[in-house]
Amino acid sequence: MARNQTDNDTIPLHSTSQSDIDEIENLINSHSSTVLPPHTSLASIPVSSTPPPPSSSIPSNLPQPTNPKPTPVPPVPSTFPQLPPRSSESGGSIPVSGFGSPPNTLTEPIWDTVKRDLSRIVSNLKLVVFPNPNREDPGKALRDWDLWGPFFFIVFLGLILSWSASVKKSEVFAVAFALLAAGAVILTLNVLLLSGHIIFFQSLSLLGYCLFPLNMGALICMLKDNVIVKMVVVTVALAWSSWAAYPFMSTAVDPRRKALALYPVLLMYVSVGFLIMAIN
Amino acid sequence: MDESFSSLPTSHLLGSVPAVVSEEKTATKQEVPGANLQIFPPNNSASRGPGYQNLGGTSDGDAQQSTNNWKGVFSISSYTQYFNVDTDLVLNRLISSLYPISGDFSSKIDANPDLYGLVWISTTLVFVIASLGNCATYLMHRRSDHSTSWAFDVSYVNVAACSIYGYALIVPLAYYFLLQYLRSNASLIRFWCLWGYSLFIFILSSFLLVIPLEFLRWTIILIAGSASASFVALNLRSYIQESGITVVVISAFVLQMGLAIFIKMWFFA
Repeated sequence: MARNQTDNDTIPLHSTSQSDIDEIENLINSHSSTVLPPHTSLASIPVSSTPPPPSSSIPSNLPQPTNPKPTPVPPVPSTFPQLPPRSSESGGSIPVSGFGSPPNTLTEPIWDTVKRDLSRIVSNLKLVVFPNPNREDPGKALRDWDLWGPFFFIVFLGLILSWSASVKKSEVFAVAFALLAAGAVILTLNVLLLSGHIIFFQSLSLLGYCLFPLNMGALICMLKDNVIVKMVVVTVALAWSSWAAYPFMSTAVDPRRKALALYPVLLMYVSVGFLIMAIN
Repeated sequence: MDESFSSLPTSHLLGSVPAVVSEEKTATKQEVPGANLQIFPPNNSASRGPGYQNLGGTSDGDAQQSTNNWKGVFSISSYTQYFNVDTDLVLNRLISSLYPISGDFSSKIDANPDLYGLVWISTTLVFVIASLGNCATYLMHRRSDHSTSWAFDVSYVNVAACSIYGYALIVPLAYYFLLQYLRSNASLIRFWCLWGYSLFIFILSSFLLVIPLEFLRWTIILIAGSASASFVALNLRSYIQESGITVVVISAFVLQMGLAIFIKMWFFA
C-alpha cells in the first residue's frame, strides 16, 4: 500500500492543522530520545533507528481530536472495533509512539485515510473471492484481515433485501443482518469446537468477504424481477461464495470432520440465497 | 448411575489420592477428573478420553466441586468434549434416529454424546420449515385461487426459530430437572443429544409436506410425528429405573406429537 507521506510536503496545511503540528512538535521535542518516525518533513526532529511502524493504520484508529471523520462507509461501529494486530511493537513509549508513525496521519486529509482503508478492502477482496495463486494456503490468504469490508457487505446486503421487500421492510433487514452476523460468529465457533485451528477474527473477516458474490446477486435480483433470472443468478452467486469459502474452512479442521465444518457454511449461504430469491 | 458408583470403594482408582477409604467426599476433593459428563458446566482441563469419565466416584452436587467448575464456562476448550465426533459417526446417528422401534440410541450415545446434532439439526429445521412453509402456503392458496401471487412472509423465520430452539432447549432441560427430582439418573447432555437427533425426521418430512394435498399432509405429519415421538419415548425409558413413572415417558410422546401438529398447522396450513 503506497504511503502518501511525500504528498504532504506540497499540500498546504489547513489553518487548524498548524496548531496540531506545533503541539506534536513540542511533544516530540520533549521526548526526543525515544521512537521517532523515519519520514518527516519537520527538519528539527532527529531521526531514530527504530524500524518504521508497519502501516499508518494505528493512528487512524485513534479518535481524531479536531477532525471528525465523515466517511462514506458507515461511522465507527460499536460492534466491530478494528483491532490492530500489528500494533504490538508500538507499546514501548505510548505517548510518543501513539504518534509514532509520522504525525501526518493525524493531520492527513480524510480522503487519504479513507483511500487506505478502501484499498485494503479491495486487496482483501481480490485475495479471497477471485482466483489467485495464493488461495490454497489459507494462512497467507487473509494475513491483513480487517472488519470494515465484512461489515460493509453485511449491511449492504441487508439494505438491498430490505429495499426489495414490499412489506415488513425492517423485519427483513433485521432477519438478514442477524442471520449473517450471528451466522459468521457461530460458524467460527463451530470450527473451534470441532477442535479446528483458525483465528477468530480472521475467520469472521473471511466469511464476510465471501458474501461479495451474494451482494452482487442480490443487486441484480433487485433490478431485474424475473423468476428464471433470479434463480440462475442466485445459484451462480451461491456457488461462487461457497467456492471462495471452501479452502479456508476445509483446511482448518481434521479431514474426518471436514463435512461437519463445511455443512453449516453451506447452510448459511443457501438460506441467504433463498432469502434473496424469495423476497419480492 | 452416580449413586451406585459412590457406594463402591473407588479411591484406589484415582491417581494421586492417598488411600483414605473412610470419607468418599474428602478423597474426591483432591483429584478432580478431567471431564465428567455428569457435571455441567465442565471443568477447564481437557478430557482424558471417554473411558475415564465415569470413574473416580465423584458424586454430583459437591459444593466444593461446583465452585471449581465455573472457571471453565467461558473457555471454548472445555466444550470441545461435547463436539468430539467425526462425520461418519454423525451420519450413523442420523440414520439410527429414523428407526423408532429399536431403543438402542441411548446406548449408542452413552459414551460420547454430542451437541453438534442438536445445534445444526435444529438450525436446519428452522430454515427448512420457514422456507418450505412459505412455498407450501403459496401452493395451497394457488389451488384455491389461481390469481394469488408469491408473497414471502418473513415472520415465518421468527416463529420457526423461537419455537424450534425453544422446544429443543427447554424440553430436555425440564425432563432433566424432573428426573433429578424423581431421583433417577439423568444426564442433561444426553437428553439434549437425544431430542436433537429426534428432530431430524421432521426435516425429511418437511420436503414431503410441500405437496398441497391436505389429506396427504396430515398423513405424513402424523407418521413422522409418531415415529419421532416413539423414538424419544423408547430411548427415554432407558433412563428411568422404576416402572412407576411411565407417565413421564408418555408425556414426552405427547409433547413430540404436539410439536409435529404445531409445525403442520402453523407452517403448512
